[in-house]
Amino acid sequence: MTQTDTAVRLDAITKRFPGVVANDDVDLAVERGSVHALLGENGAGKTTLMNVLYGLYQPDGGRVVVDGQPREFDSPRDAIDAGVGMIHQHFMLVDTMTVAENIALGNEPRKWGGLAVDSEATRREVVELSDRYGFGVDPDQTVADASVGVQQRVEILKALYRGADVLILDEPTAVLTPQEVEDLFDVLEELTDQGKTVIFITHKLGEAMHAADDVTVLRDGKNVATVDAADTTREELAELMVGREVVLEVESRATDVGDVVLDVDSLSVLDDREVPAVTDVSFAVREGEVFGIAGVDGNGQAELVEAITGLRDPETGDVAFDGRSVTDDSRRERIEDGMAYIPEDRQERGLVMDFDLVENAILGSQHSPSFSSRGTIDWQQSREHADAVVDEYDVRPGNPDARAVSLSGGNQQKFIVGREFERDPRLVVATHPTRGVDIGSQEFIHDRLLELRDEGRGVLLVSSKLDEVQGLSDRLAVMHDGDLMAVVDPDDITEEELGLLMAGEYPEGYEPRDERDAMEVPQ
Amino acid sequence: MGRLVRASGFERFLISASALLLSVLIGAVIVLGAGRMTSCETAAYTLAFPGAFVTQFVGGDALFAMGFCYDPIALYDLLFLGALGDILNDPTNGQFATTIAETTILLFTGVAVAVAFRAGIFNIGAQGQLVMGALVTGVVLVYVAPPLAGLGVFAAVILLPLGLLLGAFAGGVYGAVPGALKAYADANEVITTIMLNFVATSIALFFVSREQFFKDPESFANQTVSLPDVAMFPELVFRARDDVSLLALAFGIAVLVGVWYLLRHTSFGYDLRTSGLQPDAAEYGGVDADRTIVSSMTLSGALAGIGGAVYVMMVLGNFQPGVPSYGFDGITVSILAGNNPLGVGFAALLFGILKSGSIVVQVGSDVPPALVGVLRGLIILFVAMPEFFRMAGRKFGSFHQPGEQPVATDGGTGGGVDE
Amino acid sequence: MSSADYVPSASDVRALPERAYDRLFAGRSRVQQSVIAITLAAVLSLVAFGVFAPESTAGRLFAVLTASSTLAATLRLSVPIAFAALGGIFAEKSGVINIGLEGLLIIAAFTGIYATDVTGSVWYGLAGGVVASTLLAALFAVVCIEFRADQIIAGLAVWLIALGLAPFLSSVIYGSKNTDSVATFPTLTDMGIPFVSEFVTWELGFVLDLPVVGVLDLQSSLVGLPFFGALFDAGPPVYLMFAAVALSWYTLNRTAFGRWVKASGENPKALDTAGVNVHRVRYVAVLLSGVLAGVGGAALALGIGQFTGNGPTMVNGKGFIAIVAYLFGNYNPVGALASTMLFAGLDATQLTLQARDVFNVPTELVRTIPYITVIVVLALFGRTRLPSAAGDHYESGEDE
Repeated sequence: MTQTDTAVRLDAITKRFPGVVANDDVDLAVERGSVHALLGENGAGKTTLMNVLYGLYQPDGGRVVVDGQPREFDSPRDAIDAGVGMIHQHFMLVDTMTVAENIALGNEPRKWGGLAVDSEATRREVVELSDRYGFGVDPDQTVADASVGVQQRVEILKALYRGADVLILDEPTAVLTPQEVEDLFDVLEELTDQGKTVIFITHKLGEAMHAADDVTVLRDGKNVATVDAADTTREELAELMVGREVVLEVESRATDVGDVVLDVDSLSVLDDREVPAVTDVSFAVREGEVFGIAGVDGNGQAELVEAITGLRDPETGDVAFDGRSVTDDSRRERIEDGMAYIPEDRQERGLVMDFDLVENAILGSQHSPSFSSRGTIDWQQSREHADAVVDEYDVRPGNPDARAVSLSGGNQQKFIVGREFERDPRLVVATHPTRGVDIGSQEFIHDRLLELRDEGRGVLLVSSKLDEVQGLSDRLAVMHDGDLMAVVDPDDITEEELGLLMAGEYPEGYEPRDERDAMEVPQ
Repeated sequence: MGRLVRASGFERFLISASALLLSVLIGAVIVLGAGRMTSCETAAYTLAFPGAFVTQFVGGDALFAMGFCYDPIALYDLLFLGALGDILNDPTNGQFATTIAETTILLFTGVAVAVAFRAGIFNIGAQGQLVMGALVTGVVLVYVAPPLAGLGVFAAVILLPLGLLLGAFAGGVYGAVPGALKAYADANEVITTIMLNFVATSIALFFVSREQFFKDPESFANQTVSLPDVAMFPELVFRARDDVSLLALAFGIAVLVGVWYLLRHTSFGYDLRTSGLQPDAAEYGGVDADRTIVSSMTLSGALAGIGGAVYVMMVLGNFQPGVPSYGFDGITVSILAGNNPLGVGFAALLFGILKSGSIVVQVGSDVPPALVGVLRGLIILFVAMPEFFRMAGRKFGSFHQPGEQPVATDGGTGGGVDE
Repeated sequence: MSSADYVPSASDVRALPERAYDRLFAGRSRVQQSVIAITLAAVLSLVAFGVFAPESTAGRLFAVLTASSTLAATLRLSVPIAFAALGGIFAEKSGVINIGLEGLLIIAAFTGIYATDVTGSVWYGLAGGVVASTLLAALFAVVCIEFRADQIIAGLAVWLIALGLAPFLSSVIYGSKNTDSVATFPTLTDMGIPFVSEFVTWELGFVLDLPVVGVLDLQSSLVGLPFFGALFDAGPPVYLMFAAVALSWYTLNRTAFGRWVKASGENPKALDTAGVNVHRVRYVAVLLSGVLAGVGGAALALGIGQFTGNGPTMVNGKGFIAIVAYLFGNYNPVGALASTMLFAGLDATQLTLQARDVFNVPTELVRTIPYITVIVVLALFGRTRLPSAAGDHYESGEDE
């Protein structure tokens, strides 16, 4: 890492989208053989900048210099030819194909004068690359069957196979367990040791400091500073990122806990591919408490929540709501019984994008007597309700006639949260309630959630943000591979211990949970 | 309604209008091309440069001239204005009556297809549902009507609603089948409804070509016994031989308004529209997806079946196989109307004119009336590609684009950045 | 392992009956299993009746089914469906659902006749049909890929345009929705290809006396063989069909283009970021569906020598049956051919039944058998996994 030559230089890159300047005159220099972190909040313009470097976007101003030569990339193909490879946050893999087929896609070695793909040559090359960097992937495995960590390594191999010297990784740790993250950082070190250059995008301070040599902070599309990772502090980076001093909030805990409102008993659920996603899970949520479920995305949380809210039929087990089994009840019956639900995917489920907010305000209540009588909808009532939600939850622009699709993600989320909270629910099931929401609104949503709890309602909170679940929950369960590993006191557990549980391992002092724990609710 | 909603409605209207215009233009090109493929004594239409308008002043001949056997301008004159007949002097003339009759039936098939579309279902089977509605109405009324014929007006009061109910029932059942197959067996409704169209035609032919079933024994043709006049829609202001009824037209318009109200103002309509736009959101909102599919297909089939009943009780007076393609035209009508029940009224009138005008074309020119079939396909094609008109609009000035959202910073469309 | 990429390997040494059992029953629902079992039982008892009680009703049905003319008709009727199905596989695998196959068949059928009429050669006629169908497919491709049209609606439009255009042009040129009659494709025996034409009619003239099987009379020529004789005396389109199935299978499974087609339908973004132009792959795939459907449509009309354009035209739903055929065949060209021959076989049987008047069956209802079978097959086995991105528009990068 003593070389000083620059592998990539971006000069005054500007990129505009209708209504937004995503990158504003950004400079960036990345040293050869180094790991360079691109740090910033959501929407700071990190991904856009890297998409420019990768040729997916063409900049409106500025230039890209690779290996000392100015380049114009019209497409990723040009970037690949110049030795730049990118590993996207959502993996660009064809699930139905094998690892080797995916790696060779678009660059298949041919035989018989181009009339056939030389599958053997691909396999050989993949095995060789995998061995050189110690990846240990099976070239014949179908990608759909591979773990997330393996899929990520396939993506890296794909870039290396195309001769990449500069690797861009977009939020590579978002889908990994803490242990997989460590493995990834080892891989990155191996790569830079062998002369490759790595740029990785992240919004996590700790990762940037831990894994990178240099850190560039982006805010509102501008390069705020580039610092040496060894010479900086968490506080400095946080301030650079947010633009103001950050105070870590400590939330109050539940004081007045009542009866069980949701009782989940030995629930097993299959996913869309008919593979078990949740196996024999039991727990209970009481009035006046927040029950949190932490875990890496894709460990069965989505299926569990869908089974509780009535969107998916469980294989076995029972869901009781307010002391009555609702396992065979329809989604509509559960809504009418007072189960509010903030869904994970707001644009697919939570809102009808082509409806205006007046219409969206009654999604789920279209048959309820408050908004309809004898099958006819009272649009005046609906409008008043939409107005109230827009006002109280500060949904912008404050026009209930706006179509949902015209709102920003954060405002969509605030509208859903408002609609669901105003249902006067007995139980709120909230999955990732602050995803994509700005910091001010995050605090507001957290406060409202705790208010509801203090009013004596039950809250089931599912989130992959550790600080969020740990800060808000009164009891915290960790989910791994379809199973609840443990129910812990969020004040008594360290982040490292949580990390181990999320990875499916028991830290010292924790034991596999006895199912009876869940049934015996301490009063 | 909000500004945005109105704007997108306006955009839809612009797109439909441009699609229509473009189809007519391309239709003209096809007519000219066809005019070169056939032969005739003298050219019906000549393309020349400079044209006759110029050469008559400056003298000399056109530099370039090409004759065609068909004249597209005269053709469209016949097609669109011919359908109205001599409407200024005789508002109840026979040709205009035919236009109204065609429009009336298209109202039902158009709104039938629209209801299914709004629920996110492609009902290509309106044709089969119409045939079944017509068949059942025709064969049942033959037995019910004669005993009641003596009752005069009272018979009509019983028979007309009964006929409509029979049509609705038969069409509804025939529409419910592909609905149930889609909901519970995941069978693609486009394929099943098309197959059921073929089946309906064969079943109808089977029953009316055999005397042991419903064939009229006194007729050489395959058809049922004629209904008594009391079982027919009264013609009111039109002449009896024109087979048209303002009462049926009024009923059709009432159905459009009813369906509009159902979709816009009822909980069922809300469920249906939500399922059509975003099935996942509908499920989240407590809508039973399977039941909504079956009920909207049943409703759609029933509407098409009513169209069949009206066809029997207004136009035919009995049932004959070889039903015109009202069902397929209904698809075009619905798509042209942006699947809006009220818009269906205007689109149906337009298609009523096209269908009636094609008869005028057949009589008054050498151009085969099958051209209307080509226009039908072209209109659907162009309405299906709004992006084409948006691009054209961008090129030739400021075309309002309310349908597009600002691009988020991650390059995705719509709301913010999801991690 | 799905049947689409099932390749028997050397390590797969299980007994054939066991494998056949797995193929038929494993992983299927109770209803599907019982339908398969009933169908198997019906087929076996039909064979039994045919062998032991040829005079019974079932026995006579068996005779109809095993007639050489039934196989000949099946092959002839398979051609348009199989070609359209192959085309549909390429388009849909690449992410463009081509529901307009019916329209491509119609336009190719008419143009095939017209071009033959003008040039006097069935081969030019075939080429003309392919050109017309490919042009219409190109229009469909532009509308779907460039202008982001809804694929289903655009496909319907293609069908309706052809449904109007072909009878219109026929009326313009021939004065009727049905064209004049032109030459048809000769069969193998009539084609006069040196050696081949003689070989199939050459009397083999020997008798095999095999244990268990019994005496096998190979006195006759290949053409004269019972049932299978039809294989040796079909028209060129039938042999083209077998070649196209093999070539399509090879293209999809063994070439880079085949992999790109699959990737374009499963995850176009993966293909795009790998540097392959998704639009180009989809254009080629849709044009290929035009070429293939063109061969099928032209061959359909040139098998009869006339285009009939009344009602649903002579194509009569074959394009839609083709869609079900490839879904049932799970996007595998060989599977698609097998299901095509099932549907075509049913059609051929009902035609033979009508012609021979073996039983007093109502022709109108018998005619619906293939359509109803299609619905039943779709309902029972229609849960095919579509390519993930099928039906979705794809735009590279920002292009807004």
